[in-house]
Amino acid sequence: MTSGSLRFEGRDIPVREGDTVASALFRAGVRTFSRSLKSRRRRGLYCGTGECPNCMVTVDDVPGVRSCVTPAGSGMRVERGRGWPSTEHDLLHVTDLMHPLMPVGFYMKTFVRPRFAWPVAERVIRRATGSGPLPERREPTRTTSRHLHADTIVVGAGTSGLSAALEAAGAGEHVVMCDAYPVGSQVPPGRLLEAIRALETRARAEPAIEMLERHAALGLYDGPTVALASADELVQVHPRRVVLATGAIEMHEAFPGNDLPGVWLGRAASLMAAKHGSPVGKRVVAVASTEEGLEHLRALAGSGTNVIAAVVPAALVDEVPASAEAIADGELVSAHGPGRIRSVMVRERGQARRLRCDALVLSIGLEPRDELARMAPDEPVEIVGDAALGGAVPRVTGGTLCLCEDVSAHDAEQAWAEGFRSAEILKRYTTATMGPCRGAMCGRALAAFASARSGQADRAAAARTTARPPSRPVALETLAASVHEVIEKRTSLHQTHLAAGAELGWSGGWKRPFSYGNWREEYTAVRERAGLMDVGTLGKFLIAGRDATILADRIFPGRVADLAPGRSRYVLALDEAGYVADDGVLSAFEDGSHLLTSTSGGAEGMDARLREWTHRLGLHVHLLDRTSELGAILVAGPRARDLLHPLSDDPLDGDSLPYAGHGEVTVAGVTCTAIRTGFVGELGFELHHPRSRGPELWSALMRAGRAFDARPFGLDALELLRLEKGHLYMGQDALPDDTPVKLGLDRAVDMTKEWFVGKAALERLATTPLGRRLTGLTFDEGPEDAAVLRGMPVSAGGEIVGRVTSAAASPALGRSIGFAWIRTVDGELPADGLRAGEARATIAPTPFYDPGGERLRG
Amino acid sequence: MTLRIPCPNCGPRPHTEFSFGGQERPHTADDAEADFARVFLPDNDPGSARERWFHALGCRTWFELARDATTNRIG
Repeated sequence: MTSGSLRFEGRDIPVREGDTVASALFRAGVRTFSRSLKSRRRRGLYCGTGECPNCMVTVDDVPGVRSCVTPAGSGMRVERGRGWPSTEHDLLHVTDLMHPLMPVGFYMKTFVRPRFAWPVAERVIRRATGSGPLPERREPTRTTSRHLHADTIVVGAGTSGLSAALEAAGAGEHVVMCDAYPVGSQVPPGRLLEAIRALETRARAEPAIEMLERHAALGLYDGPTVALASADELVQVHPRRVVLATGAIEMHEAFPGNDLPGVWLGRAASLMAAKHGSPVGKRVVAVASTEEGLEHLRALAGSGTNVIAAVVPAALVDEVPASAEAIADGELVSAHGPGRIRSVMVRERGQARRLRCDALVLSIGLEPRDELARMAPDEPVEIVGDAALGGAVPRVTGGTLCLCEDVSAHDAEQAWAEGFRSAEILKRYTTATMGPCRGAMCGRALAAFASARSGQADRAAAARTTARPPSRPVALETLAASVHEVIEKRTSLHQTHLAAGAELGWSGGWKRPFSYGNWREEYTAVRERAGLMDVGTLGKFLIAGRDATILADRIFPGRVADLAPGRSRYVLALDEAGYVADDGVLSAFEDGSHLLTSTSGGAEGMDARLREWTHRLGLHVHLLDRTSELGAILVAGPRARDLLHPLSDDPLDGDSLPYAGHGEVTVAGVTCTAIRTGFVGELGFELHHPRSRGPELWSALMRAGRAFDARPFGLDALELLRLEKGHLYMGQDALPDDTPVKLGLDRAVDMTKEWFVGKAALERLATTPLGRRLTGLTFDEGPEDAAVLRGMPVSAGGEIVGRVTSAAASPALGRSIGFAWIRTVDGELPADGLRAGEARATIAPTPFYDPGGERLRG
Repeated sequence: MTLRIPCPNCGPRPHTEFSFGGQERPHTADDAEADFARVFLPDNDPGSARERWFHALGCRTWFELARDATTNRIG
């Protein structure tokens, strides 16, 4: 029978086929599985079905594992988490004796003053509580996330769930069926398990049923959507109909001594005796008020467990096995220790009677697992089987109300006396129901307590606290499943860059070269000779159709209607609040269509904006997003034209293809739309080409560039090149509520146009004070590498008046330059006395480099 | 919250595929004050309202939808 062993706190414990970690430990004599959260009371196996926190141990360095539902594996390392020096002998158990001194919320009341005491106290309290330390080093599990669509989802694979699934599948529906555990694993051997196995065989043979075992339903949401989690995936199921067959668990009552090791719920005792072959005690007292309880009683007796007495309703006395004394209509009063259960007090016909025992088995009612149904009351949910039961009302006479959070009935009484007088606020004050069982065990007891105190005993159910996801504990790494799913956008030149030794980094969803080793050399190449840059990441949109020009005219605040075919123009895009959302270059064609190139990071937003206004204005426009279909290479520098000449027969001179013009040219056999742009401030050709031709075009350009020592350049060089030229980076230099005038871009706005998006807002804002403005700065006496000034506050006379958004040492100017936004006073910028850190800052006109633009007109 | 948004092209899809475009509103207003209200002061009333949605991770279509902000009922 033995199939290996697990390592438990320094000794080897044999594992049998079908064992759970808990059953292996129990067979080996372990009775105390954990210590309670606050009072450090001993806790033994109790529910046996993965609900209560008592059996939680650390398995292979993972704390908080429920040993009663975790299959035992050979070689597992198991430790008990709580207790010092050990769980068996826990000196902190003194806290239980000090309980009268530590009422609910005692630490919040006790350590709040003096203030400095709290961080110290919290650290001590943190060490004294919790379920054991988290592993310091552990590889994260790569969880995945997926969506499932189905006609019906059935939650819970018991008899009701399996029947419902078979019925739905029989009616031609596609059914997803889930259960937190393997089918039947929670059920002791007997008639019920046989019925489940018969249904399971049919369900597994039914192709329309998709069975997801070990998938716990965490929550029910609008839609409806049901979220499921397993150890390695998060599943969102979108059914038309939800069938909840979540069943019921055995009721948890709060009576004195109810948390002693040796107090068992019926299913746990039955599973341990009949399935794992370990009797739960030598002298067992059972309390059975349900049919299921009698079933457990028979299972215990049948497996040779010595049941000395059974407390049952009078009507069921005849069903008690002969070996046990039947106590008709008795009432369980209390259980007594110390350390584990040693006797119980039972009231029989008014007489209290003490029974010596070493185990107490309780089957006193059923609590439907109805959290999911209570989460989304408006959804098409059908509740079947035991989950639809009304449920009994548990007694609260003493002992532990909430096992997870270690809240006693006395604590609840005290909180009530302090004025916390409903289940909802009792929950918040005492944290009862907020532990790993998510209120499944104790939610009803808390509600029953509150209802009894408020004189509304009949409304126990109505006082339940709100059910919220997750209804079962779930690892954060499972919820973070989709975080791992990063989409990395690459241009057609990705491999080419890697081969050239480029340092790639993230930029607006793309992986782009930041440099090819030495960005200063790349900068110099562009300023003095020629450079190549992969700008295939730019957003590229073809705007065509009857109303193409109208759309462009409405969406951009600048003049568009007079843009002649073959010409390009810088455009801003505003939102309806008049704030600058993005910028780009618009090029007009003979046929009335336009090509818009927008910033790499803003491409998706630009596409959404174009489509939104086409829709809202009811225009007839065809919009084609060519971003991923077209590549683009920028050839820039004083020798750019010389570089292109040998590769093209088309005229590239300033008359045929002037600055801010565009045309179709064939370069190295590749047909390109060449746009004369000037972002870097030099003669430049942006060659837009079919993506698939990118690598060969790049190679041809690189070969032709050897004669001029041309270099590929990355974003690091571009940062300085564009800064010298006074061009903004929208995401870096602009703030979310910057208007064109604040950025000094009012030249790209024509307020005489009849209407454009954001015009009314700009008119309104023109009547209010400016607030701040983006301006160019030069720095003196500052650090050698002015780049460190970026992000620094700008001060004037000791008062902070702005912030540096870009800064760099400019080789072309021989000084440090930058951008900053600065507060205005009466519309004017402060004239002097500006500082950024150690540096003296002076407001300077932009562009810093080539203000007349002779170089880029070339 | 998980909504299923009926896209006119693609049928009902999870809301994670869509961008919310705000409450439907005119694109012009009579004066500056009304324009401010139009842009910054949506009604945000409980109950059903006309909204604009964009099928961003799908067919990239904008469309209008009546959704009840209290119950999430669509239509």
